[in-house]
Amino acid sequence: MTRDEFLSQMDEILGLPAGTLRGDEKLEELENWDSTSLITFIALAESNAGVSISPARVVNCFTVGDLLRLAQAESNPC
Amino acid sequence: MTDLLRKRQSLKKELLQQPNLLSTRISILGGSTTTEVKSMLELFLLAQGIRPTFYESGYNRYYEDISFENPDLWNFKPDIVLVHTTWHNVSQFPELLESETEVELRVRREMARFESFWEKIHTRLGAVIIQNNFDLPRLRPLGNLEASQSFGRVNFLMKLNAEFASYARKHARFIINDIHYLSAQVGLTEWLGNTYWYGFHMALSPTATVALARNVTAIVTSIYGKSKKCLVLDLDNTLWGGIIGDDGLQNLVLGSDHPVGAAFRDFQQYVKDLQRRGIILAVCSKNDPENAKEGFSHPDSVLKLEDFAAFKTNWDPKPKNIREIAEELNIGLDSMVFVDDNPAERAFVAEQLPEVAVPDVGSDVSLFAEILERERYFEVDKLVQEDLNRAAFYNSNAQRKVAESSFGDYGEFLGSLEMTAEIGPFLPVYLERITQLINKTNQFNLTTRRYTSAEVEAVAQDPGFVTLYGRLTDKFGDNGLVSVLIGHVLADTVELDVWLMSCRVLNREMELAMFDALVEQCQARGIRKIVGIYIPSKKNGMVAGHYGSLGFSRMDGSSEGRQLWFYEAPSTYAPKTRHIRRLAKPLLAAPEADNESVAAQTSV
Repeated sequence: MTRDEFLSQMDEILGLPAGTLRGDEKLEELENWDSTSLITFIALAESNAGVSISPARVVNCFTVGDLLRLAQAESNPC
Repeated sequence: MTDLLRKRQSLKKELLQQPNLLSTRISILGGSTTTEVKSMLELFLLAQGIRPTFYESGYNRYYEDISFENPDLWNFKPDIVLVHTTWHNVSQFPELLESETEVELRVRREMARFESFWEKIHTRLGAVIIQNNFDLPRLRPLGNLEASQSFGRVNFLMKLNAEFASYARKHARFIINDIHYLSAQVGLTEWLGNTYWYGFHMALSPTATVALARNVTAIVTSIYGKSKKCLVLDLDNTLWGGIIGDDGLQNLVLGSDHPVGAAFRDFQQYVKDLQRRGIILAVCSKNDPENAKEGFSHPDSVLKLEDFAAFKTNWDPKPKNIREIAEELNIGLDSMVFVDDNPAERAFVAEQLPEVAVPDVGSDVSLFAEILERERYFEVDKLVQEDLNRAAFYNSNAQRKVAESSFGDYGEFLGSLEMTAEIGPFLPVYLERITQLINKTNQFNLTTRRYTSAEVEAVAQDPGFVTLYGRLTDKFGDNGLVSVLIGHVLADTVELDVWLMSCRVLNREMELAMFDALVEQCQARGIRKIVGIYIPSKKNGMVAGHYGSLGFSRMDGSSEGRQLWFYEAPSTYAPKTRHIRRLAKPLLAAPEADNESVAAQTSV
């Protein structure tokens, strides 16, 4: 998944107009970032890329970009 | 599924824009985290036109919330309580090698815990309960012995499930949400996802939550009487393989000799099973009528011509035919489901008649039944004798229509029907049917007021109310309990809160017979004035002139949205019905309620 695809998916999950997120937004400042969107993020990573992301690692993400890096790291392990 | 998860925010926003949403208050009492359950349930309910407001118990606080009467829950006043427990919430499993008697005792103890919990919800909160039964653990340390030994976990959970079911049979307003089935359907590996269980204490994965939300939505839809009633079917390549007009009867693909023919036969069997439990069947097919009928004479056709209440085979557009079927059967378009293998026909009907449910069944007949099942269109919260007789009702109605056309004068036709009505105050034996009618009648319904079964039971015993039910029989058969009336008595006035009638007895003078009985009741209780209420809805236009035609006059100052109509009974009242004979006494023994109504009369 490219950065743009990921950002537009996050726009949808958070109910924001397409093209809103740039990647540097702080998660805690996003109104709709809650347990439901967190679970959706994990579930989509699982069904799109077949990767299992531990909630503990999501909790350590501070920005939207961190989430992207986490999803990418899990799907392309070194 | 991914689409649903991804777009849920925008979907919700869109669904909230729909007009005329029905509101309901649901408490989710969870034995695990229920955030996802709430979110998905909200989406699926909104898609059915029901707008829920939720209360969620704290994590695994389902039992404490009820036992200690959490004031937040009590103030919330739920209509429905969903108890979202799973096998993780069983308090104690049997010990290894425990005797059967000890296991039995354990089952009793577990049941006692749940029963006191349910009773408190019913008596203190007055809400309908939707209770999960138990799913099965994924892991089996005892292997197959888990199922065969009495101390095995699978065996123990199955026993509890049987006890839950037995409780449901004995208690109205208690409905099982069969997660034992759902988990098998989803698959136990998929049902509980480790990530979600260890990360969030969710007992169900997001996929499983979608299945659960669909199932609970079907139950809620049935509680509000919004389930579908009629299945409209295409013929060629839907009920049999091939085109009867071109291929001829002998070349149809139907029956076990052919792999696809067997799938068509099995789909017919599924449709027949639906019909047997009271779903009305109709045909809507582009065909020559004679050819179409011939198809049902195929030796492997499970469905027979007489199974269909309406049969439209012509070359007119299908939306027009479906509209006519709805009129003929006196049912709403929103109670119909249309199945056709042709995607163009499906798209056309869906576009022209958005109220009709048009599932995307594809063109592979082996999947038709499963797709219909998945949508859970025909869920009911109870099955009563009237449901089983429904096909016969509609069949006799077809005969009545034939009889009608052979009479010059409508009155003469009514006379020939030899109608008898049984009308009287609510009897306990009829309360279930009365509640069902109140909650699902939309057209001949003056106020569209809904009552829970507890409310129906309460007004039946309350001398401050006048209640009447009406059954109608004629020479073609028993129409069953078809009309209900509830009036609130205030001094010498009765205000009619509910007046409804099943449309299958429309234009039969049954509404006049009900009015005659109402006036008699009022006279016996010293009530002179009758106030009728008409609340217009999208569907009850047919009764806009009801009170006017009975001689009521419109009261000043009543709004268009809630019209008040007034009638003062003359001291000598001449009955209005001419063609219905009234039974003096109900066929079933009247209860002591008679004494109560005498008491009420003296107190007014």
